[in-house]
Amino acid sequence: MARIGVFICHCGTNIGGVVDVARVVESARDLPQVVFVDDNKYTCSEPGQASVRDAIVENNLDKVVIGSCSPRMHERTFRNTVASAGLNPYMLEIANLREHCSWVHGHDKEEATAKAIELIRMAVAKVSRHEALFPKEAGITKRALVIGGGVAGIQASLDIANAGYEVVLVEREPTIGGRMAQLDKTFPTLDCSACILAPKMVDVGQHPNITLRTYAEVKKVNGFVGNFDVEILQRAKKVDHTKCTGCGTCWDKCPEKVDSKFDLGLGKRTAIYIPFPQAVPPKPVVDTDHCRYIKYLKFTEEGGEGKAPPQCRICEKMCPSQAIDWSQEDEVITEKFGAIVVATGFKTFDHTAYEEFGGGRYPDVITSLQLERLMSAAGPTGGEVVRPSDGAHPKTVVFISCVGSRDRQKQRSYCSKVCCMYMAKHAIMLKEHDPDVQCYIFYIDIRAGGKDFDEFAVRAQEEYGALYLRGRVSKIYPEGKKLIVLGEDSLMGRPVEIPADLVVLATGIEPSDGAAEVAQTLNISYDTHHFFVEAHVKLRPVETQMDGILLAGCCIGPRDIPESVAQGGAAASKVTDLFSQESLITDPMVAAIDPAKCSGCLLCVELCPFNAIEPGTTRDGRTIAVVNESLCKGCGLCTAGCRCGAANLRGFTQQQLLAEVASLWQ
Amino acid sequence: MAPELVQQIRDKARELLTSGAVDCVIGYGRATDGVTARPLFVYEPEKVDELIFDETCTHNLVGYLVNRKGKKTGIVVKPCDSRAINVLLNEGQISRDDVSIIGVVCDGVVETGWNRVGEAQQARCQYCHQHTPVVYDFLIGEPREESPPSAEDYAAVAEMEAKSPEEREAFWAEQFDRCCRCYACRQVCPACYCTECFVDKLDPMWVGIRVAPEENRIWHTIRAYHLAGRCSGCNECERVCPVNIPLSLLNRKMARDVEDLFGFQAGLDDKEMQPLGAFEKDEKLGIGE
Amino acid sequence: MAVEGFSPRMVGFLCNWCSYAGADMAGTSRMSYPANIRIIRVPCSGRVDPLLIIKAFQQGADGVLIAGCHPGDCHYVEGNYYARRRLAIFRSLLEFIGIDSRRLRVEWVSAAEGKRFSNVITSFTDELVKLGPRSEVQVGA
Repeated sequence: MARIGVFICHCGTNIGGVVDVARVVESARDLPQVVFVDDNKYTCSEPGQASVRDAIVENNLDKVVIGSCSPRMHERTFRNTVASAGLNPYMLEIANLREHCSWVHGHDKEEATAKAIELIRMAVAKVSRHEALFPKEAGITKRALVIGGGVAGIQASLDIANAGYEVVLVEREPTIGGRMAQLDKTFPTLDCSACILAPKMVDVGQHPNITLRTYAEVKKVNGFVGNFDVEILQRAKKVDHTKCTGCGTCWDKCPEKVDSKFDLGLGKRTAIYIPFPQAVPPKPVVDTDHCRYIKYLKFTEEGGEGKAPPQCRICEKMCPSQAIDWSQEDEVITEKFGAIVVATGFKTFDHTAYEEFGGGRYPDVITSLQLERLMSAAGPTGGEVVRPSDGAHPKTVVFISCVGSRDRQKQRSYCSKVCCMYMAKHAIMLKEHDPDVQCYIFYIDIRAGGKDFDEFAVRAQEEYGALYLRGRVSKIYPEGKKLIVLGEDSLMGRPVEIPADLVVLATGIEPSDGAAEVAQTLNISYDTHHFFVEAHVKLRPVETQMDGILLAGCCIGPRDIPESVAQGGAAASKVTDLFSQESLITDPMVAAIDPAKCSGCLLCVELCPFNAIEPGTTRDGRTIAVVNESLCKGCGLCTAGCRCGAANLRGFTQQQLLAEVASLWQ
Repeated sequence: MAPELVQQIRDKARELLTSGAVDCVIGYGRATDGVTARPLFVYEPEKVDELIFDETCTHNLVGYLVNRKGKKTGIVVKPCDSRAINVLLNEGQISRDDVSIIGVVCDGVVETGWNRVGEAQQARCQYCHQHTPVVYDFLIGEPREESPPSAEDYAAVAEMEAKSPEEREAFWAEQFDRCCRCYACRQVCPACYCTECFVDKLDPMWVGIRVAPEENRIWHTIRAYHLAGRCSGCNECERVCPVNIPLSLLNRKMARDVEDLFGFQAGLDDKEMQPLGAFEKDEKLGIGE
Repeated sequence: MAVEGFSPRMVGFLCNWCSYAGADMAGTSRMSYPANIRIIRVPCSGRVDPLLIIKAFQQGADGVLIAGCHPGDCHYVEGNYYARRRLAIFRSLLEFIGIDSRRLRVEWVSAAEGKRFSNVITSFTDELVKLGPRSEVQVGA
């Protein structure tokens, strides 16, 4: 016979204001094996926990039910409370009387109370079948993997490396730097973006603890916190970076010109290239889709018709270090890590979806990121802000906010957070480039919520003459050399028509291409927009539900540079927390297979998503299934699939769940 | 069956026993009523002449192989029985090297009872399109051309589905009321080999000790579910039921669903994973859509 | 058959990572839905053994809800794919023995879908009110 204690929490008025706690307490006294019932104002508080502890000791309780907020909130807290009273922490069950009861049935207190009474009865029935569970220890591989070499990933890598641990930073592009490397200046300080980023990039490239793998992608991740097995696809650069000195002769001489992805189509690069001058590593890769020699090789291999493309190989002939290596092939590298930081960043909304803005047909309707490239001294126009169509300097520039943000029709109802600030920055910068320019900004709101942010936005208007028009733009159409922008000034209550030389669209932030695949590879959650989901939005903003996998930067949602840098550091701190431990305590809520009941059909081996079950033999030679507790994640597929009832998941056993069902509607 | 074919069975059995390839041949013998058949375990070559094969040989002998794992056994199987062999091979309950399979091309079996041989073929033979065993070491008889499957094969299931939920509930309540929980259906089934059957468990107690319709319903429903994608359609469960519950309706329903939803039929080979152990990421099953 | 004043008995098996969290979110957002449902937490929709479902009906449930992650997003990668197959077969079997298939409802609810969860409960409750009580409600042994 167990001695179960039941503690009902008022949670202030959150529960107590709807549920009649006194009645729940009374009804709990009659439940089987319950010997003690009490209520608390705030069970999670110091005095609350102390009263639970004392009650356990004074009444010799061996199992506890707490009726409170969701177990997803405080299961950990209350397990610690129970443990501090000398009980096994798993002799606890929590009834969700808040999120699943008082907070959703506030309109009917009678029903809410009846439901609360029943939820307590179910929890008592379940806990009566709880058994003591004991975690095991596992080793930790003290190496970190960082996916994504933007500023968030760079910061995380540096912080972990400085703490003394090995880091492998994997970046898909040929260089690290991400979106911040594409910016000209940053708000509100107007620092040169590349100038503040480049030193960090160089630190990464030179840090003894960081192995930088650019032009590479993570393909497969197995294992669990402290013990991840990762397959990295290192794409062939066709350049031996151990020989290459980055002299630049090859990309200087390469005859093939390709649209530059870094310059967002506004400029060209060569087939053998570094994306921008401050690239790290400052050594080129060959774009095998556009390299003439590679095309020639493909042509001869596939036996193409007609004239063969030229053999070129100019880079190889000109390279003073003989660094070109056509024999390089893509390579899969398998490594072990203890923790993974995901910092895969963002891309911008494809504005061609807005037909009213030209649908991408007008060369002088550009995005804000493209404007950054025009303003950048290292950009395609050498820092001259000119119209893509004719190279003329624009005098009238119109900005449109919220292109692909705050727009339900385009399935992007969220705000991209940084655009109001960078439009103000653009207005300031354009005026600095050309005192004769007039900027108009069509806005819905001005969101400038950071330190010195509002002052910055006000400066753009008061000192730099930017005209803010509260309204949307309904259409843009060309007329001669101008683009006529039809919009509304809703504060004046009248339509506005502006003949613009250049239109800049503040395109919304969305996760980088392939984000969903990265999430699926890592088995982390993502939302409808493919942003990755934090473990808790408020209290665990850089963790995921998967232990050992952290998040940083815009892959979580729109945010600016200081936030991304802070999160990189926060993620690094979680990693170093983990690595500072001797060993990992594993979750004991894993499956076990009773050899006496197992018939060896091995269905569970098929079912297990983590390959945690293997065939084994009993001493008398019978085949049975055996669970590897280090790999088991506690999903219960085996338990639900086993016809013989040999597999059972601790913490959610067949007996426990059946007890809950059997306690219903008594 | 033609006498020369029966003789082939006996000769093969004799050969297997005398060569030591097996130490037992499981086949059919004449029952003590003199007209029907019964399972026969032949351990000595001299006794092979007791083996028979005719339209009374309804039993599925494959279940006996489960307890003989590790011992060399010969077995006489009809096509439906041979599918059960594949199911057991797939689930590791028998080892291919241990069994010598004498597969018999079957013309169908008739209804039988004590001292009674019926005229009509059993219902299951009327919709059978597999007269040649799917796995065997030695084949008795000539394979023949099969008629194609038709919607009529599942007519009984369709008829039940056409009833209203209330009619169905009433029908099954009446059937389950008669069930006396003798478990003859389970004992005769080759796919029912669990060390401890869910119905016998005391903790968790899924099915109460009471013999009552609402408990019996759980027994039959879950057994049918456990057999989904594994039942070879031999129908022996229905034949042995002392109170004539139409168990084939439940098993055929599951077989048809498994074929419709997953394109799978039990026991056609020993490699393909049973449907509840597999999935297709994009399949549309009408669940959660 | 709809019965006057009938309040359906409902039980829901919710997976910890998505649907239980979605139900929590319905709570934090103060969504409102009928109080009939009793939620049992499971780690994954793949943990739901059909034996538990049929016992729930035997216990007196008028409706059983299984809620899991959207296919492709299962926290355990594949659990809901297996659950999908099991529930397709089992619901069909229950319908065959006379338990209306509308009484076994499967929904994919993500951790961010508080509103959707509340809508699911409201609509399921309404549907069960229309369907009426299960004609033969027996309390287990």
